[in-house]
Amino acid sequence: MDNIIEVRHLSKWFGENEILRDIDFTVKRGEVVCIIGASGSGKSTLLRCINLLEKPSGGEIIYHGKNILDNKHDVYAYRSKLGMVFQQFNLFNNYNVLKNCTIGQMKVLHRSKEEAEEVAMKFLQVVGMDQYINAKPSQLSGGQKQRVAIARAMSMEPDVLMFDEPTSALDPEMVGEVLNVMQGLAKSGLTMLVVTHEMGFASEVADRVVFMDKGVIAEEGTPKEIFNNPKQDRTKEFLRRILRENKAE
Amino acid sequence: MTGKWFIKVIVDYWPMFLRGAGVTLYISIIGTIIGAMIGLIIGTIRTIPTSDNSLKRGFLRIVNGILTAYVEIFRGTPMIVQSMVIYYGSLLVFNIDMDKMFAGIFIVSINTGAYTAEIVRGGIISIDKGQFEAAHAIGMNHGKTMLYVVLPQVIRNILPAIGNEFVINIKDTSVLNVISVTELYYQTSSVTGNTFRFFEPFLVASIVYLVMTVTVTRILRFIEKKMDGPENFIVIPGNQMQVARPEDVAKKR
Repeated sequence: MDNIIEVRHLSKWFGENEILRDIDFTVKRGEVVCIIGASGSGKSTLLRCINLLEKPSGGEIIYHGKNILDNKHDVYAYRSKLGMVFQQFNLFNNYNVLKNCTIGQMKVLHRSKEEAEEVAMKFLQVVGMDQYINAKPSQLSGGQKQRVAIARAMSMEPDVLMFDEPTSALDPEMVGEVLNVMQGLAKSGLTMLVVTHEMGFASEVADRVVFMDKGVIAEEGTPKEIFNNPKQDRTKEFLRRILRENKAE
Repeated sequence: MTGKWFIKVIVDYWPMFLRGAGVTLYISIIGTIIGAMIGLIIGTIRTIPTSDNSLKRGFLRIVNGILTAYVEIFRGTPMIVQSMVIYYGSLLVFNIDMDKMFAGIFIVSINTGAYTAEIVRGGIISIDKGQFEAAHAIGMNHGKTMLYVVLPQVIRNILPAIGNEFVINIKDTSVLNVISVTELYYQTSSVTGNTFRFFEPFLVASIVYLVMTVTVTRILRFIEKKMDGPENFIVIPGNQMQVARPEDVAKKR
């Protein structure tokens, strides 16, 4: 399997605070990687650094063999190849569901309206939102918004689809519909990078689980290794805490 | 006596009032539209994120300095004084004999621009950061993000404030009489010169102003409603294939 993204010695500072320290991390084609860890461990920042929503303070991000932190690299073309699904959905409020999925294709990939709509409809069907193409984001529930956001990202036909805690802002009864869609996408062979608090999803769907703590990758391995047989004490402590919280719910 | 004069002023001089009202509306409509465009452009430039490139950063700083000076100067001086300075100044210093109508539109536009620049900046700041991030994440640059995602939302949100500017412009074009633009106030003054009556002509003028501002307010409210679109959406009934939800697919497995 070839590496799509290779992160080398990545660091990120916010003023005096070191958020990420010397991160080495790769994503291979067709792989589903889940990043877990406590709040403030830097997992969202890592994701945002990878698509340059945050500018890394140091290190390299190699994409198809080229370092995209080079000044000469076209940031916008690179971003269009990385899909991003946000915790807060961030659908474009001024467009209906269909236009949300076509605007990027038309203005960034320069596809015709017809082609863009065809592609958008394909992915809206995948997420089960094709009946709602006329709706404005404000008229949808959280789960529906997130499914449209997934279709919007998929419509750009990205190399990697990244999820930044996609279910954390949802009401509990809507978490399932979004996780189902994500599970379907994972089965279809899409490369996915998922920051999540859903341990069930991570253990079932991920090929590899990365546990982050205090800005470093503390441990990574298959879901079995991480969940059943963690090596590090801090991984054990985190999992114990998470399981206790889940039981309390 | 007053009632008789009131009627006489209307009957004898209605074409002058009408022409004046026409000029007033013309200047304020064009001035507001151009001014709003100036405001949108300046607001967009002022919210460009700082670049890493020091040359670009320096250039942007100079442009921002000029724009700040523009906003401060035109917000900080009365329009009636600006009219005098610009109209007579251009003649004296640059030897440009401006068309009066052009001068009027020019003055109203740059004034409105100075105010709307701040309104637009406020509008852009108030748009959720997530909208910018989502646009950036699908590969849009600052220009495309602004044009297709942020400004359409900004325009909707600042429309009431722009309407305010429009109403203010309808009233404030009256100061252009100092450079003899033949708007409503100027025409009314001419009527008083002909009739030697002051109360009745200006009573007529105030009614005409009021009718214009109220009508404009109503039209803008209508446009706002139009822009919001229908409150409900239509669900497209799909075929069997399309109705399948991920949940249903999951159940079948």
